Amino acid sequence: MNVMVVMPQMGESVAEGTVVTWLKNVGEVVAKDEPLVAISTDKVDVEIPSPAAGVLAEIVVQEGQTVPVGAVLAYIGEAPPTEAAASPGISKAEQSVGVTQAGPVVSPTAPRPQTWHSPAVLELAKEYGVDLTRVKGTGSEGRVTRKDLLDFASRRSIVAAVPADKRAAAFERADRDQILPISHLRKAIAEHMVRSKQTAPHVTQIHEVDVTVIARYRQANKEAFFQRTGIHLTFLPFVVKATVDALRAHPLMNASYTQDGIVIKKALNIGVAVALEDGLIVPVLREADKKSFLTLAKESADLAARSREKRLRPEEVQQGTFTVNNLGAFGALIGTPIIVQPQVGILGFGRVVKRPVVIDDAITIRSMAYLCLSYDHRLIDGAYAGAFLNHMQSNLEQFDFAILP
Amino acid sequence: MPGLDLTPVELLKIYYYLKLTRGLEQRVITLYRQGKIIGGVYISAGEEAIAVGSASALEPDDVIAPTHRDLGANLMKGITAKEYLAQYLAKRTGLTRGRDGNVHYGDIRRGVIGFISPMADLLPVAAGVGLAFKLRRERRVVAAFFGDGASSRGDFHEALNFASVMKLPVVFICHNNQFAYSTPLQKQMAVENIADRATAYGMPGIAVDGNDVLAVRAAVAHAASRARQGEGPSLVEGKTMRMRGHAEHDDASYVPPALLEEWRKRDPIDRFDAYLREQKILDDITAKEIAERLSKEIEEAVSFAESSPFPDGTDLLEGVYAS
Amino acid sequence: MEITYLEAIRQALWEEMDRDERVFMLGEDIGVYGGAFKITKGFLDKFGPERVIDTPLSESAIVGAAIGAALMGMRPVVEMQFADFIACAFDQIVNMAAKHHYRIGEPVPMVIRAPYGGGIHAGPYHSQCPEAWFFHVAGLKLVAPSTPRDAKGLLKAAIRDPDPVIYFEHKYLYRHMKGEVPEGDNVVPIGKAEVKRKGSTMSVIAYGAMVEQSLAAAEKLVPEGIDLEVVDLRTLQPLDMETILTSVKKTGRALVVHEAPKTGGIGGEIAARLAEEAFRFLDAPVVRVAAPHIPVPFSPALEEMYLPNADKIALKARELANF
Repeated sequence: MNVMVVMPQMGESVAEGTVVTWLKNVGEVVAKDEPLVAISTDKVDVEIPSPAAGVLAEIVVQEGQTVPVGAVLAYIGEAPPTEAAASPGISKAEQSVGVTQAGPVVSPTAPRPQTWHSPAVLELAKEYGVDLTRVKGTGSEGRVTRKDLLDFASRRSIVAAVPADKRAAAFERADRDQILPISHLRKAIAEHMVRSKQTAPHVTQIHEVDVTVIARYRQANKEAFFQRTGIHLTFLPFVVKATVDALRAHPLMNASYTQDGIVIKKALNIGVAVALEDGLIVPVLREADKKSFLTLAKESADLAARSREKRLRPEEVQQGTFTVNNLGAFGALIGTPIIVQPQVGILGFGRVVKRPVVIDDAITIRSMAYLCLSYDHRLIDGAYAGAFLNHMQSNLEQFDFAILP
Repeated sequence: MPGLDLTPVELLKIYYYLKLTRGLEQRVITLYRQGKIIGGVYISAGEEAIAVGSASALEPDDVIAPTHRDLGANLMKGITAKEYLAQYLAKRTGLTRGRDGNVHYGDIRRGVIGFISPMADLLPVAAGVGLAFKLRRERRVVAAFFGDGASSRGDFHEALNFASVMKLPVVFICHNNQFAYSTPLQKQMAVENIADRATAYGMPGIAVDGNDVLAVRAAVAHAASRARQGEGPSLVEGKTMRMRGHAEHDDASYVPPALLEEWRKRDPIDRFDAYLREQKILDDITAKEIAERLSKEIEEAVSFAESSPFPDGTDLLEGVYAS
Repeated sequence: MEITYLEAIRQALWEEMDRDERVFMLGEDIGVYGGAFKITKGFLDKFGPERVIDTPLSESAIVGAAIGAALMGMRPVVEMQFADFIACAFDQIVNMAAKHHYRIGEPVPMVIRAPYGGGIHAGPYHSQCPEAWFFHVAGLKLVAPSTPRDAKGLLKAAIRDPDPVIYFEHKYLYRHMKGEVPEGDNVVPIGKAEVKRKGSTMSVIAYGAMVEQSLAAAEKLVPEGIDLEVVDLRTLQPLDMETILTSVKKTGRALVVHEAPKTGGIGGEIAARLAEEAFRFLDAPVVRVAAPHIPVPFSPALEEMYLPNADKIALKARELANF
């Protein structure tokens, strides 16, 4: 049986409303309560949540059309879109006057598609903000099982482990503004960022670092390095290595501030933020202090590649203890990164640029970059953060190339 | 002559409880007709002598397992008129706090096992009470009441046999009031006396005039004495007549009026009243004095019950278990 | 030291009789003969005929007497020769014992031992699992141990409990099941289920003889990567929903196993409660493995087909895992 989506009464005096944007296309799976269509009335602009889980079987009222309150906007069905489209149940004429009774859109003999989900899966999908159409099912007849969903959620993003909150920012919209649906990943990131800012008083401290020796070394050796290892030699492993050393000397930076007390993490698991088309993900270099420079270089390259292909395993985005963010990848000199909870620090590494620098009262050209450390002021103070950055700085400026292969 | 062993005070006590039983039940009928009673009303009119006579033969720490027509015995064991009426009015102050109705109440501390609707169920239970007395070597007795209808149930057989085999201190007391609801005796049993069945269980059985309170008392006293001495159970059958319907909703049209008329002449209270006057134990002055006491006790109980609150249900789900 | 399930029951009875002189036993053939399963062998010599009572063949009277004795403060332990015969005492159990505390507020501390279950080729009247008959009735506690440790600890708890407890002891486990029993006075609390095996794929909820079969099924499925969590209910009433829910919320799947027929069985109640209280956590339908809705057949060939076992449980568990 298909379910009607009707123009709601948004205030006592409201008599009609306009469809602004359909957030789903015909044939797309829609979860119950998932935003389905944005409408506008003279009182309020809202997104209408889907009254049922299923497939958007038919759109009756197109974008821009204004219809009376109670008019049917669409039907949510269980059938595949092709079946629904072929349905003889609703004529165009009926649609144009705004039918309020649901006709038989689905042929009773139509095979049932795998669009139904168990209560646990629906609940968890809502909690983790997962679009179930993107999850590959391994259950009976391709059903998405609870395990499939949990695996997907943990693989997708570390930030997805946080339940999405209700989003209710009021906004004023001019006539030609457009409303885009918010992806679940986007929602999850948004929520995590808000939570982190609400949880930790952030301070960002910035040191300038002279990476000339590394830049020179890199310039001189990158081709040979690639031939030898198959890996492009970037600044990242140098930064990671320096971060690991500094963390080892400053254990409070590798910690969590909890109600039970300050947890000093024994493992040094360095998260490395990777930008995706529709968000970002933070895969983790586990036990980074026990890995050689070459391994760190290899693993970070591999994690980044697999992040973009969405082929990470769940455990590869879990249990980070500190995060490194390559701000320079998109040209930034300086940034103020937001901490990944429940960590207490995140290091942003700016773009390496050649700049005139005064050394021994002489102006010389050096390869310079900014180390931007955001830390949780509940636990870390400026002096400690400064010492940490100083440690990193001297490490990078006097890099021990003997550790390279 | 039965009753000669009793003092005037003891005899007047029996008189008082006979009158209290009838007075209270008549008051309940009034309340029922006023729509104040919740559920059925079960009256022992005409057979009060069995309950009162039996209970008068027991010791204070003896136990009774009553039926719905043993108000007199319950009152003698210490159940109060207030508790009785509050129970009928489904009030919180009733003995079951509104959880059970009308004649389904009890209090083991006062020696009264709560009656339940399935007939004869209390007979095995009474045997168990007797068993406890026997195991603990207590010289106590349990009086187990039942009706002619209940004697057809298996539990009657099991209980009498069980008690007799184990020589338990039980006195089984039958109200043979001729009818089980609408079923007359001849459809209930093919023997003349329920007491005859005692033979089959190897216990003494005696049928007495159930409308002669002192005859009942004497038979039960004898049976109780035997039981107390470890000689086992007895069966006492009181021949009587149910003078009203099974309950007050039942007009008992199936009972021949002539039969009722005949039994009315043998009313146990009228007979005991006449006996006491004959014995110069009761005169008009004493009778009036007792009537006034009864009236006061009954009306106090009515106003107590009527002014009592209904259960508020806050503990509705509690007490299914003791722990 | 490892002892049998039967020996565990025997020890619990012995120790409780030794500990508390209010405890006594009554049943058919339990004294001189030592009981149909010889559980009370030797008890007569030690405790005497007043505390180890051979009764007439009267299940209703036995239970009724136990109720009466319990009301008087004794701690009777009744042996039903076979649980199948408990039907003869049904009225006393459900109408008298179960409701008494709720109605009257007086405790009825008694235990009915019910040797139940099949697998011993004994046919329709010596093999039944009648626990669901009583599961529906408020006021009874029902326990069904699966190991010697629980058998001993739960029987001690049952004897000390102030409420009527039906103790379902599985006949197949009597001599077949052995296990460690802790030294000393170990009481297993009534109302607490126990996770007998931790697992992640699904929760198998079982009791009695089906716990052992479920554990065996779990071992069979290990090579397939199916990891069963086995919850042993131990007490059927009051049902420990907390433990069941905790497990099912963790695994998202539930397989309920009992030897009694599926229709109207306890598994149906558990499935319904899971649907009501854990719907959002369920990743698959709640599935039951139970006997078909027929009397227990006699011939071993038929009984084998009738009874759930490890293979049948494993089969269903595999289906459920692949759902």
